[in-house]
Amino acid sequence: MSALSPRGSISGTSDVAVDFEDSLRDLSRNDRYEIGNLTSIAREYTEYAQAISRVLENHIKTTAPNKKLPALYVLDSIVKNVGTPYTVYLGRNLYSTFMEAYTLVDGMTRRAMDSLLKTWKEPVPGSMDHRPVFPPEIVRPIENALIKAKTAALQNQRQVQQPPYRSTPTPPQYNGQYAVPPTPNQHEQYPQYVYGNSQAAPPQQQWQPAMPPPTPQQQPPFLSLNPAARPMIDVSTLRADISALISRLQMAFAASPSDQGLITQLHALLKLKQVVDSGAVPDAALQEVRTKVTALAAVAPDPRRSPQPPVPTPQWQATPAMQQPAPYQPPASVSQAYQYPGSGTLPFAQPAASMLNHTAPPLLAPNALNGLQALLANGQKPSTPQMRTAVPALQNMPHTQLNNVQNNITAAPTSNTADLLAALSKSGVLSSLPSTTPQTAPAQNSTLPPPNTSSTTSLLASLQSILPPSQNSTPTTHAAQPAGTQSKAAIPISNSALKTFRPELVQALYDNQPNQCSTCGRRFLATEEGRAKKQRHLDWHFRTNQRLADPNASRGQHRQWFLDEVEWISIPEFDPSTASAADTTAAATVQKKRGAQDQYIRAPAGITRLTCTVCQEEMKSSYSEELQDWVFTNAVYYNGKPAHATCVEEMKKPWGGGGGGSLAAALSMTGQRQRSATPESSLGKRKAEGTLAGNGARLKTG
Amino acid sequence: MALPGFNLPGLGIRSTSTPQVTGTSAPDVEQPSRREELAPQSEWRFEAGFIQSYSVRLVSGHAELFGVELAQNQTHNLSGLKGAVFTWQGCELEVIGEAESEYSAQETEYATEWINLHGMLESARDGASEGPRVLVVGPDSTGKSSMVRSLAAWAVRQGRAPTVVHLDPREGLLAPPSSLTAVTIVSQMEVDGWGISPMTGPSLQPVRSPLVYHFPYATPSERPNAFKAIVTRSALTTLNKLEEDPLAKQSGIIIDTPGGLNDPKSNYDMIHHIISEFSINLVVALGSERLYNDLNRRYTSKSPEDAIAVLKLAKPGGAVERDNAYMKQLRARQVRQYFFGSKESLNPHSHSIPTNDLTIYRAKPASSDAALPSFGAEDEDDYDPAATSTSSSNTMYEKVAPSLAMTGALIAIKFCSSNSEEATIRDSAIMGYLYVADVDEARKKVRFLAPHPQRWGDRALVWGTWPEAAADLVR
Ligand SMILES: [Zn+2]
Ligand SMILES: [Zn+2]
Repeated sequence: MSALSPRGSISGTSDVAVDFEDSLRDLSRNDRYEIGNLTSIAREYTEYAQAISRVLENHIKTTAPNKKLPALYVLDSIVKNVGTPYTVYLGRNLYSTFMEAYTLVDGMTRRAMDSLLKTWKEPVPGSMDHRPVFPPEIVRPIENALIKAKTAALQNQRQVQQPPYRSTPTPPQYNGQYAVPPTPNQHEQYPQYVYGNSQAAPPQQQWQPAMPPPTPQQQPPFLSLNPAARPMIDVSTLRADISALISRLQMAFAASPSDQGLITQLHALLKLKQVVDSGAVPDAALQEVRTKVTALAAVAPDPRRSPQPPVPTPQWQATPAMQQPAPYQPPASVSQAYQYPGSGTLPFAQPAASMLNHTAPPLLAPNALNGLQALLANGQKPSTPQMRTAVPALQNMPHTQLNNVQNNITAAPTSNTADLLAALSKSGVLSSLPSTTPQTAPAQNSTLPPPNTSSTTSLLASLQSILPPSQNSTPTTHAAQPAGTQSKAAIPISNSALKTFRPELVQALYDNQPNQCSTCGRRFLATEEGRAKKQRHLDWHFRTNQRLADPNASRGQHRQWFLDEVEWISIPEFDPSTASAADTTAAATVQKKRGAQDQYIRAPAGITRLTCTVCQEEMKSSYSEELQDWVFTNAVYYNGKPAHATCVEEMKKPWGGGGGGSLAAALSMTGQRQRSATPESSLGKRKAEGTLAGNGARLKTG
Repeated sequence: MALPGFNLPGLGIRSTSTPQVTGTSAPDVEQPSRREELAPQSEWRFEAGFIQSYSVRLVSGHAELFGVELAQNQTHNLSGLKGAVFTWQGCELEVIGEAESEYSAQETEYATEWINLHGMLESARDGASEGPRVLVVGPDSTGKSSMVRSLAAWAVRQGRAPTVVHLDPREGLLAPPSSLTAVTIVSQMEVDGWGISPMTGPSLQPVRSPLVYHFPYATPSERPNAFKAIVTRSALTTLNKLEEDPLAKQSGIIIDTPGGLNDPKSNYDMIHHIISEFSINLVVALGSERLYNDLNRRYTSKSPEDAIAVLKLAKPGGAVERDNAYMKQLRARQVRQYFFGSKESLNPHSHSIPTNDLTIYRAKPASSDAALPSFGAEDEDDYDPAATSTSSSNTMYEKVAPSLAMTGALIAIKFCSSNSEEATIRDSAIMGYLYVADVDEARKKVRFLAPHPQRWGDRALVWGTWPEAAADLVR
């Protein structure tokens, strides 16, 4: 249906994932049967868990908002009924999967998601396993972000004098999925079917008595945080908001691919995200970025319209009442709205019409898209997470659309403030910003007056002042700027320079990194990135201690074999105690290549020992950090019986090239370095690139 | 327990309630504790035995042990270590337990030299794509290893990922003695050592992944050509790795060497080999005027583009000799820790294997043919892997049948097939070590202790006479 469908592209290798994806696309409502069916596929094909998880994540990201909740229920059903390895794969990106969906859905769906999140903190009901569905370190950041966002939204709301509230009070596309079922099968809806009394069920009764009736105004302000009310900017929320904006624009783009304005806007936002992700934005400036993002969110096209098939008449004409400014919806009208007998495809909010409607002539340069297509065909990794998200959509585009994208990407190859500003301004983003109190403009407002363009210049100026100067656009996994090296004078390499004490060297190790871990003494910079790093570090301590406290954790622990040369050369080095999800995933990917040793059997409940059918040695279960579960590592079923994977491999394949093979591989990796026959052979004619030359290597000592 | 049939007196099973006790377990009795006030740029020197527990706690101020900052109010176990807790800013320490020797010292000019050297390396890293490659040489007991530790620890604290290459077979790095190790360090260094090599399950510290080669002799001069071959191989892999990792490449290499490398009679042949293979651009000579002068003359007089900087650093006042008895204990501890862990408690596995299924090579003692100037290439074609106990004096390895003499020895598992050529076996990295627990000649079975439950396949096994047999590992 939608042009966004990442068919065949994400999974690439796996037909299972493609099938899964097809079924997923057909899931448009809370359908117990279909969810159960998808869960069975997932259970049956755990060897494709990673591909399936990615398909699912991507579907949740890209599908229309009214399909997000059913897709999230699929995720929920899989993690609860199948468990590992899905909990691991889906847990990695759960934050963005959840938060990006959360920003795009309506209030009612948000409450359903809140309930869902709650159940993830607890063990699966009726399960012997007392661990929560997802570990706390995965759920907590989501909770924190939600709490912050809600608090801010409430604060914001209080300050609003004349809020131009969203005119649509309710999400008609839910037309009674759980509240007032249009079909008689409510009793067998998904939440009930899973565990009978699952808390995942989000009936309105859950919140109605307990909380003040949710007013529609509470929904849009998620993106409309008032900076003045928030002394500190939560970067993760900001990032999520930017990501959400990006997905919205991507969807709008899919709907009207010839819209040059959209493309430029999208591009500008991707860059903004890069800048924010790089951590190079000072705290004060984040406030400003937040304001801009909020404002952008208010005027950005709403994707909820775009994935829909063409409709005969503009949707809002069907519900003229919603066009009226409705500053406050009394509770009565809210509950009424749940029963709204809408078509099911009725968007409840209108995009800024001008943005969607203005079209630009397609730019057709016959050869221009070859590069991009080659990129996609080769499966080369896109350079940024945002581009990775966009690629599935791109892969399904016709040539003309690709052409457009390519032109825009190549049109602005560098990423610096000037470019960003130019792009923002060119895209109409800046000029469409409301001149005053942009934070009061909710995202779904369709009655916003034409934007005041007079403030463009001042906005440009303010953006210029807050964004860092032109710098490297590709964020790397490693700190580009080493810690505490701000103002270092180069020290020449000489014996005389060894004698004088330089306090700044000590300062670089201590004072410049004031943010210390009290457990291990490790220090972090007082920057946003330093704080984030420290947070990940403390989480790591917490996880480790928790695991160490588990009496089961130390059973069967043993040292690993050392790496061979090829593995050692290619293993990505990163600090697990501060690693981001990306680092861990990269490492896990490399580990995957290790073959037999990494095959595993999940430990059947209560079984800690098995006997290898090949060597008759005992096999012991161990705890897998990656899978978060007890497994028999290096294990496969051989003729239906458990065996060491390596034993089976040894049996099947007699020892061949051996270490010579790994040497050959190591050598072939470079080609230029030949090992000659004698140990005297010198690699030594290689020159270091003269890095010391500028720093005194040629200085005579003395 | 993981080892049915083995009696393990006091080994491997350590209560998790006393995680601060490293190495040989010590009774957890009340220890005398006292406070020590240290002035800025002074240090607390100690020589702690293996048996008695000895620990320090930073009460206030800042302090570090060879570049690794001590967290406040954490008790750091230092038993079996000789070193100095240094403070740049001044601090108060609580010292618990008894050491063979301990005192505070103000003469710490060495620390200024070391951190200035660190500053020079940082300058060389800044903005460069390829960082400094440093070779540290000098006689034994001049603080080489401590300085290498400090340089690595400081670099990591500034966000670098230095690669340390350890070429002293007498003491392992993340591996037992007889290992020559390379490791890229990306996470904070540990106060009491180089950390933990990869293991299953959780660990208190991030693990590090070393690449390990095998040189089963006490000093490179026993088998200079084999040593050089391994250096060549190690340089190949290390430099390849740096090409894969921009941060590691920018952070550079620091190479630690044994004192026995500095033989003027050989015209510093092996030092030159390392410099050449690793493209060293900075040589640091510790504690030897003569060594510095010789190297300085040789390397700084070259044409500018070939010149290599040579620095001269003094021996720290606190550097003490580690006598044979201490080193022997240290080696035994390293072997034990490889199988049983230290803070982390590991379960090694027992493998009982018929002698007929084993192909074991003995690395011949140097005394038989050390004097021969060359080994290897020209004889490789003659080497017959099927022939046992070849008497050719040019060979390094001979096939041997398992015998009681192996009991207690370490056997290296090479990443190569058991019928590989000698040079291949010599140059291959190792997958791990086995400990020969028991040789039953009558029943023709050998029982090994292995770190890992998985068998090693048909890989070449090498029995070296170094390190000496550890008789008390299992009984
Ligand atoms: Zn810490
Ligand atoms: Zn087996």
